[in-house]
Amino acid sequence: MRRAQAAGPILGALSLMALSALVLWPVVAGDSPWPLAPGDYLEARGQAESGAQNLVSAIYLGYRAYDTLGEAIVLLVAVTGAIGMIASAGDARGGAADTRFGGAARRRTELLDVVTGKLGPVVLVFGVYVMMFGHISPGGGFQGGVVVASGIVFLSLGRRSSHGPRITRAGTLAAVEALSFLVIMLAVGLGLVTGSGFMGNPLPGASPVVSIVVLNALIGLKVGAGISLMCVAMLAEANEPW
Amino acid sequence: MVEFILGLVVALAVYSLRSGDLLHGVLALSGLSLLCAMLFFLFEAPDVAITEAAVGAGVSTVVYVWAIKATERKDKAQ
Amino acid sequence: MVARLLVGMLFLVGLWGVVAKRNLVKKVFGLSILNSAVVLLFVMEGSRSGTAAPIMDAGVADIVDPVPQALMLTAIVIGVCVTALALGMAFRLHRATGSFDIDTIKERLRHGPF
Repeated sequence: MRRAQAAGPILGALSLMALSALVLWPVVAGDSPWPLAPGDYLEARGQAESGAQNLVSAIYLGYRAYDTLGEAIVLLVAVTGAIGMIASAGDARGGAADTRFGGAARRRTELLDVVTGKLGPVVLVFGVYVMMFGHISPGGGFQGGVVVASGIVFLSLGRRSSHGPRITRAGTLAAVEALSFLVIMLAVGLGLVTGSGFMGNPLPGASPVVSIVVLNALIGLKVGAGISLMCVAMLAEANEPW
Repeated sequence: MVEFILGLVVALAVYSLRSGDLLHGVLALSGLSLLCAMLFFLFEAPDVAITEAAVGAGVSTVVYVWAIKATERKDKAQ
Repeated sequence: MVARLLVGMLFLVGLWGVVAKRNLVKKVFGLSILNSAVVLLFVMEGSRSGTAAPIMDAGVADIVDPVPQALMLTAIVIGVCVTALALGMAFRLHRATGSFDIDTIKERLRHGPF
């Protein structure tokens, strides 16, 4: 009886995987040629039109900036949803007690001290470097933003979130994320006012690389603040005594 | 070289799904992200490699470890 | 060919994790593996059309296709957002019912709040 009941889901899973393998077979074993036109056009004209040497930055901030706008909105919605689900799960006190794990005081080990105290600022500086140099070397808004988020998570691991450096507090991170999202909306809308179209270059006299640098910084701030806000909310929830 | 690393990636994925301890599965997933970052470097995609290394081996692992720490660690069905 | 087959197998492993595992966290593992498989496939296919990274320093020619790389950047960041949201939901379900197993959760939710 047990085996007959268990056979149903197993058969279902196996038939689903067989169907998926059948659908994937032309993708995996097919030999259709990769379209070369976008790559050739970008190799010939990309640097001249957008001013950036990193063609990937030129794509996601210039040719396909709509995707980046959509990604910023998805990140905002995901962070809001995650924090809403975590913070309303029970008594969401902010870890204001003296001991951090409900009774037994935690020993601070040397490893945690070195990583959070010494390496955290180094990772933050590296993240800002990767963010700002996105137009001439590998890097950019997304890449620098996630490295900055890692740095902020390091810093907030070592201290209670209400007494640590101001950058790791949830209020600051939420304000930075909302503000940078607003400024991104303003920056892409400014092109409508100055005559170069929606998402065009907002400063008509300057070279187009200026808009790429500014947008990289804004997107890096937004991604970094959003992801680290999610992680700081989770760490604060895990540390409350219950 | 690429095929060898891809084989390791598939092996780590299967191990992470079949382990009885969820923390071991999370560590296997983190190793999978690290190997993927190396693959992206071999595929001449440095931007994707930086993002995958910071996200997969960093932020994603923190989120998983929080979820396991706040709830339970053993997968009772394995 | 072998590399593409391996990536297809990684996709099937992720699908198996989402469909056939009973633990919620293992299902989220499967989502993450699915994301990695798709990103690997796109970047691998894009890298076949050239030999150099798409940074136009002096004297760089015959670059790989930069379009799939730009799309996959967005995909990776959205993947981590999906993981965080899914784990938040799993955490709430565990708080409400006390278990990660989907059959146990269905039983306990059916029998009313407790």
